[in-house]
Amino acid sequence: MAELSARDCVVVGVGVTRQGRKLGIPERELRREALDRALEDAGLCRRDVDGYIACHGGVVFEDLRYLGLGPLFSWSLASGGATAISALIVARGVLALGQATVVALGYGVSPSSFRGGSGYGRYGYGYPELFGMVGPSTSHALHAQRHMHLYGTTSEQLGAVAVTQRAYAALRPEALGYGRPITLEDHQSSRMICEPLRLLDCCRDTDGGVCVLVTTAERARDLRGAPVRVLGTGTGHNIRNWYERSVYAHHDDIAPARERAFGEAGIDLGSVDVAELYDPFTISVIMQLEEYGFCGEGEGGPFVAAGETGPTGRIPTNTGGGQLSGYYATGFTALVEGIRQLRGEGGATQVSEAEVALVSGHGGNGGVQNTWAHATALLGAGL
Amino acid sequence: MTTSPRNPLDFAPDDLDRPFWEGCRRHELLLQRSRSTGRYHWPAVSDPDAGREGMEWVRASGRGVVHTFSIVHQVFRPELADRVPYNVIVVELEEGPFFHSNLVDCPNEAIRIGMPVEVVFDDLTDEITLPRFRPRDAGTER
Repeated sequence: MAELSARDCVVVGVGVTRQGRKLGIPERELRREALDRALEDAGLCRRDVDGYIACHGGVVFEDLRYLGLGPLFSWSLASGGATAISALIVARGVLALGQATVVALGYGVSPSSFRGGSGYGRYGYGYPELFGMVGPSTSHALHAQRHMHLYGTTSEQLGAVAVTQRAYAALRPEALGYGRPITLEDHQSSRMICEPLRLLDCCRDTDGGVCVLVTTAERARDLRGAPVRVLGTGTGHNIRNWYERSVYAHHDDIAPARERAFGEAGIDLGSVDVAELYDPFTISVIMQLEEYGFCGEGEGGPFVAAGETGPTGRIPTNTGGGQLSGYYATGFTALVEGIRQLRGEGGATQVSEAEVALVSGHGGNGGVQNTWAHATALLGAGL
Repeated sequence: MTTSPRNPLDFAPDDLDRPFWEGCRRHELLLQRSRSTGRYHWPAVSDPDAGREGMEWVRASGRGVVHTFSIVHQVFRPELADRVPYNVIVVELEEGPFFHSNLVDCPNEAIRIGMPVEVVFDDLTDEITLPRFRPRDAGTER
């Protein structure tokens, strides 16, 4: 384990609002409620927050006043599903440089209530839209089709991801899939969205807010919030794969993110007890399991189908149901569940003695190349 | 197969790709090539090694293979309602770049990764021509 310094970034508070479809709650009110819950969790007050990073992709001028925050800075950070971990990386730097002592990562959106109901599923990528290529499901279908071609991955194996994660969600009251397990037959009979992706291969926009409060290890000792250390972080962007014509063979540019995060943490993959992988679509989980090295190249489908991501498998993955069956909070879903597992707050899906969590995010999709950023965080229980 | 005839330049942030779309109206598929590295790109771009200097539009062969594809069933936009199910293909052009398009003259069920394809220009209006692709074996049928 790497030597820890007093400036190391520690998560001391998490606030999650109700997550659901068409809640009809104003977005800044979701951010306000998440902030209050996080402050309560950490044992901090508004005036303690001297740094704010808005992670919902918008400007923050109205927010600060509505939230009642008076930080030294307030920045917007937008990288889609990589935003949460990217903000965590920025916060680490800020804390290490002594620019702030408590940084709030704020998020709260109502895509299913206030954006014409279209949410994120219908956005375009520029010129490919001329050919009917619309939305992230189509772009991920292109990856899935290529993966099937290269490795023989099947729709049933994609379905195994959906079924496994729904089984977790069915046991978690805060998940959209709570109490509603699904079978492989349910997956196979769900309607086709973009071949090879079916309805149950896709997540749905969720209304909800999340706030994560981070501070220094030194400060964390005096707070009541159960601390979770940030052991290492890293990033990669698959525009590099676009240049190399390998963008469809890889889901993300994971290698540099992984190497940076694990190198910094001074641990290897065998130390990871639980994985929370960004999962807008089932294929995303399969391809990340391969690229992080939990299984070999092309073996992600059989790996999941064999139950290796389930509660008794080699690497319990997306233990709160993920975005597919938990809730979609643009990268915060995975971060929050990683924190919960390390705090022992995983309820019926708690992984016993979880000490290290691997969390990932990707996003910021765009351009005709439709490439995106990937971000990795390794989290550790306690101080 | 038809697309709602939106002008490609509606999607352009500026005029830098205009030569490409004007080339389509002449039924020429253009790519960006770096004189320094000889690498081909699309659309307007700086070469990761040589930058913007020496970047030129050159006529491409119009040939390639299907690198990956999807058949879209979901109606993402009202104007696409009468098109579903339709295909979206990524062509790996002979010169290297990927290009998103549609495959015509081929049933969706018959699309395969690795299929040889060639460009065919679809004149939607006097102003708008889109490059689509067809199986290369069908090249003499149109």
